[in-house]
Amino acid sequence: MNKRYDIVVVGAGNAGLSAALHCASEGKKVLLIEQHNLPGGCATSFVRGRFEFEPSLHELCDIGTAEDPGEIRQMMEEYGVHVDWKPVPDCFRIISTYSDGGAMDVTMPAGKGPFLEKMEEYVPGSRRKMEEYFELLEEIMEGTAYISASNGHADSAVLKEKYPNLLRTGAYPVKEVWEAMKIPPRCQDILSTYWGYLGVDMERMAFIHYCNMFMKYVTRAAYIPTHTSHEISCAMVERLRELGGDIWFNCRALEFLFNGDRLCGVRTTSGDVECSYALANINPDIIYAKMMPKDLIPEREKKLSAARKHNYSARMYTIYVGLNKTAEEIGIRDYCIFMGDTADSAKEYKNILGGYDTNNFTIFLCGNIANPEASPEGTSIGFFTSMGNPDEWGDLSQEDYVALKNKYARKFIKELKDKAGIDIEPYIEEICVASPWTFARYLGTPEGSVYGYETAGWDGMMARMMMLSSDYPIKGLRPIGAAGPRGDGYSSAYVCGKLMARLALKDLKEEGGQA
Amino acid sequence: MAVKVKVGLIGALDMLKFKNMAKTREKVIQAAPAAEITADYAVNNNARELHPDFQKLVLEQIKDHPGTGAKTLVFKNADGGPLAYFRAGQYLSLRMEIGGSRITRPYSISSSPKEALQGKYEITVRTNPGGFAADYLLERAKPGDTFLASGPQGNFYYEELRDPEHILALAGGSGITPFLSMAKAIADGTEKFSLTILSGSRTKEQILFKKEFEELAKDERIRIVHILSDEEASGYEHGFITTDLIKKYAPSDFSTIGIFICGPEAMYRFLEKELASLHLPRKLVRREALGAPKKPEDLPGFPDAAKGCSYLLTIRQGAEEYSVPAESSEPILVAIERAGITAPSRCRSGECGWCRSKVVSGTCFAPPENESRRWADKEHGYIHPCVTYPTSDMTIEVPGEYGE
Repeated sequence: MNKRYDIVVVGAGNAGLSAALHCASEGKKVLLIEQHNLPGGCATSFVRGRFEFEPSLHELCDIGTAEDPGEIRQMMEEYGVHVDWKPVPDCFRIISTYSDGGAMDVTMPAGKGPFLEKMEEYVPGSRRKMEEYFELLEEIMEGTAYISASNGHADSAVLKEKYPNLLRTGAYPVKEVWEAMKIPPRCQDILSTYWGYLGVDMERMAFIHYCNMFMKYVTRAAYIPTHTSHEISCAMVERLRELGGDIWFNCRALEFLFNGDRLCGVRTTSGDVECSYALANINPDIIYAKMMPKDLIPEREKKLSAARKHNYSARMYTIYVGLNKTAEEIGIRDYCIFMGDTADSAKEYKNILGGYDTNNFTIFLCGNIANPEASPEGTSIGFFTSMGNPDEWGDLSQEDYVALKNKYARKFIKELKDKAGIDIEPYIEEICVASPWTFARYLGTPEGSVYGYETAGWDGMMARMMMLSSDYPIKGLRPIGAAGPRGDGYSSAYVCGKLMARLALKDLKEEGGQA
Repeated sequence: MAVKVKVGLIGALDMLKFKNMAKTREKVIQAAPAAEITADYAVNNNARELHPDFQKLVLEQIKDHPGTGAKTLVFKNADGGPLAYFRAGQYLSLRMEIGGSRITRPYSISSSPKEALQGKYEITVRTNPGGFAADYLLERAKPGDTFLASGPQGNFYYEELRDPEHILALAGGSGITPFLSMAKAIADGTEKFSLTILSGSRTKEQILFKKEFEELAKDERIRIVHILSDEEASGYEHGFITTDLIKKYAPSDFSTIGIFICGPEAMYRFLEKELASLHLPRKLVRREALGAPKKPEDLPGFPDAAKGCSYLLTIRQGAEEYSVPAESSEPILVAIERAGITAPSRCRSGECGWCRSKVVSGTCFAPPENESRRWADKEHGYIHPCVTYPTSDMTIEVPGEYGE
C-alpha cells in the first residue's frame, strides 16, 4: 500500500464528485480516482473544431434563482462551487401525435400560471382540473421534501395530517393517478413529455417521483451552465483540491480490498490505496461481478440483483452538431423540441425498443436559445437525443457500427426537417454521433445505460429510499450514482452522492472513529 | 387541503399500500434466486474492442521504399486476433522507449480498416532532420519488436453526414498516408466518397506509394496528381500546391467538394495563404492535426524574458513526484518524457486533450494556433502539455497512462 486516505471515491461522475466534496468538506482526507482524464462522467464536454459540445445535459432542475435557490444551487454553494447558470426559456415544445390520434404541436412555457394558461388553450376546459392537479403536486413536493429532510424518520402522523395525498398516491404509477383524477387525455399527453428524462413510461413510472421532477422543471424553471457541464465538474474538482483532496485521472479501480469482511483499500492501476471507506460510482452488478471477493457478497444482494434482472434504464443515442449559421438564420426558435410518433409514453417506449424501424423518438436541443455563449459568433450548436435497444447495439459488428450510427442520424435530422421545418443539413460544420457504445466507453455503465436500474414498480425511488438501511450491507463500501436510491439525472446523482457520503461518515462514526 | 385523491377504491388502503412499499419490495427481492451476479455486456465488449486502453503490437515486417527515405512498418496484434477497427484517416499513437525517454508518436494508419479486423496495421515513417523516433523506427526497429499503441484516434476522416461526396486531398510528402488508407477503403467498398489527391513530392524518386495509387486509381472514384517541387518532368505538375493547381484539378464547383489537408508545417502555412483567396466556408476545409510548432519562441505572445531559458518542473503523477529539467523552447510533454515518465499523450498537437494536465504553480505559454482546450480547463489552469511551453519553474499534475 503506497498511500492512505480516509475515503476513496471511485469514479468522478456527478455522484462521485458530490460525495468527494461532502467528505472533504467534513474534514476527511479524500482521494477521488477517475478512469478517464476528465471529471464528470456524463457531465463533461468535448471540442471539435471551433465548437465545445455539451454531451448530455438538457436542463438542470432544482437550481432556482439566487434569491430563492433550489436544492442543487444550495448544495453547490455549500460546497463552495461556483457555476454561471443560464435559465432555459420554455419548458418544451413537443411535435407528436396525441393518444387520440390528433396532431400535436405544443409549446409549454415555464411557470405555473403561464403553463396552466397555455394548457387551457390547447385543451379547452382543462383549467379547473389542472389547478386541482397542481395543488396536488405542490402537496407532494412539500411532502417529499419533508421525507427527505427527515433522514428516514418521517413522522407518519405528520404525513397523514399534512400530506395525506402523498400517502394515497405514493404507491401508484403516474398513469393510474391521472386516470383516477380524470385528467383529460390530451392534458395527460402534454404532461407526459418529460418521461424520456427518466427513461420509464407513465404506466410504470412512480407518480411522486415523476411529479417532483415535473414540478421542479415547470415551477422552478430549468438551468444550464454557461460553459457546458464541464464547467460544473471542473469547478467541483478544483474545490476538492482546495479542500485538500487529491484526484488521480486515468486511474482505474481494479478491485476492492478487504480485511476479513471489511473494506480496507482499493487496488488501482496506479497501485494499492489504503482507506477506511470507499464510495463507488459504479453499478453494483459490476462491483459484485468483477471487483470484490465472491464469498463476501451477501445472499440478499444476489437476490436483489436477480430481481432487477439487468433491467437497466435508457441506453442513450446522441448526435452533436456544430452549425455554421446562427439559430435565427436556420429558423431554430425553441430550446428543446421533443419529437416522436405518439405522446403515449408506453407505446413510444415500445417503439424505441423496437430499434431502427420503429424508433422515431428524438429530442432536439439548441444551446444558443438559452445561452448566447453556447457557440462562437455566427454559429449555433445543438444535439439530438434518443434511446437505443441494447440488442440492436449489442449484436452489431465493428464494420457495421458507423453505418447504424449514421442511419439513425440521417433519420433524426430528416425528422427535424419534416416535423419542425428546420433543415440543419447544409450547415453542419462538425458532427459527432454517440451511441450506447460511446456511453459504455466513457461511463463504463452496463450496456452504456445512463440511468442505472429502472426506477419503476417495486424498485421505485420511494421504495429504495425506504430501504436504505438494508440495501447497503458491505462494510466500508457503498455504491453511489444513478443506480442508487435517488435514481437518475444530474440533480439526483448530486443528491445521491451527498446522501451516501453522509451515511458513510455516519457508518464510520458508529464503527468507532476508524477514520 | 381541498383536493382529495383516491386512486384505489378505498383511500385508506392506498395509504397502506404506500406504507407497505418497503415490504412489497423486500418480497420481490426475497422471491428472486440467489444466483451468481454477472456483468458481461455485449455493448461494453464492443466498445472496448473499438476503443481499447492500448494495443500490443508486434512488428512483423519492414517494407523499404528505396530512394524516399521512408519505410512501411507492418504490425500484427501481438496476442493474435483482430485489431481495433478505425475510420480511414485515423492515426495510432505508438509508444517507444528510446535511450531512457518514454515517448509517443502519432502515425496515420496507411492500411485499410478491413485489414485491422485481420489483425494488421501499417504505418509509414519517413526520415526527417532530428527525427528522434523516426531514426529509431527506421534504423533500429526490427521484426519481432513489440510496441504498445493507442487505439485508433483522430477526427481526420470522411464523414458522410457532413462532407460533400467529393474530397480534394492536398498531401505533402508522407502526409499521403491517411489518403492511402482512404483510397483503399473506397476501393474495397468501406467508404463511398470520391477522392482526388494532389500529392506534393520533391522529386519523382521521392514519390511514395506511386504504384499503389496507380493500381487504386483504376477505380474511377480515385484520382491522383503528382506535383514535384524540385524537378520538372512530363506527366507531373511542377512547383507547390497552389490555388491555380487546386482550381485546375478541382472536380467541380468549390461548394460541392471538401478539401482535406495533410502535410508538413511549411505546407500548412503556405496553403493557409493560398486557400484564403478561395473564401471557402470552414466546414469544407479540414486539416490533419499540425503537431507542435517548431519554433514556439518566435510566435507572437511568447514572453521575451523566457526565451532560451531552462526551468525545473515538479511533476506529480498519482502518489509519485519527480523533478524534471525543461527548456522554454520545448513542449512540457517532451521534458516529462525525457525524464522517463510514462505520460499520456496521443495527437501531440493540442487537439485530442489526452495529455490534459493541471498547473499547480508556475507560468507557461500555449500558442493560440494550437488552442483546443475546453473553456473551463483554461479557466482552471489546465494545459495540454504537448503544445505548452514553460516560462517559469512549474508544478504540474499529470494523469496516469494505461499499459502493461
